[in-house]
Amino acid sequence: MNQPKRSDEPIWWALFSAGGVCFAVMIPGLVLTLGLLYPLGLLPEAAFSYSRVQQLLQSFWGLPGLILAGTAICLPLFHAMHRVHHGLHDLKLAKGPLTKVLCYGLASLLSIVAIAYSGIIV
Amino acid sequence: MPDSAGARRPYLQPLSRSWWLKHSFFLRYMLREATVLPLLFFCGCLLAGLYSLAQGESQYQSWLAFMAQPWVIALNALLLLASFYHAKTFFELFPRVMPLLPAPLMIAGQWLGTIAVALLLLWLFGAIG
Repeated sequence: MNQPKRSDEPIWWALFSAGGVCFAVMIPGLVLTLGLLYPLGLLPEAAFSYSRVQQLLQSFWGLPGLILAGTAICLPLFHAMHRVHHGLHDLKLAKGPLTKVLCYGLASLLSIVAIAYSGIIV
Repeated sequence: MPDSAGARRPYLQPLSRSWWLKHSFFLRYMLREATVLPLLFFCGCLLAGLYSLAQGESQYQSWLAFMAQPWVIALNALLLLASFYHAKTFFELFPRVMPLLPAPLMIAGQWLGTIAVALLLLWLFGAIG
């Protein structure tokens, strides 16, 4: 009797879903401060100074750095690459499993880099 | 009709590449999917920022200068709008997947989370308080 092949979709969907929460909850505040208000000169000059940011990320055993990497880079990347993967199929630009490997592979690779660098600065 | 191997061969209607332009529901779906494009850009920015922090202060300063370029600010403004649209669609899904409380209450609660994080970051970076 053939065993039905177990789908790996729950793993990708869980990462997609967690990334979606981060995209909706973390990203608006982060892009508002770091991406808009600070470059426009609407925040104090020292808010994102080298020493302050390093100090912030290093405090509490480097936990803020890990939280930033996880919730603003790794999980949103899995969310984004899941939608890119399915979007490429929706637009009939991709067929078969290759784009899936490339999309989730890229998200995994960049996640490892992000976590590694969040540790190096600590 | 099953083929000689007994497998199903269902009729698949041919689908044009522009199928999503034909109805506003599909267009909104594609718009929601496209919210990840500015997100990908911002994730790349953050990754470059972490890398520059590890490289030293002058590298970090040039990263800050990159973040202040007009086209980068414009893309990040687009991301802010995209994140609101994504949040709206995503928050509406939760009460349908897991109906714990009345839907409007669950949606409002999730928006409160977004606002709380934004206020925390605004306070942390000296905009308020």
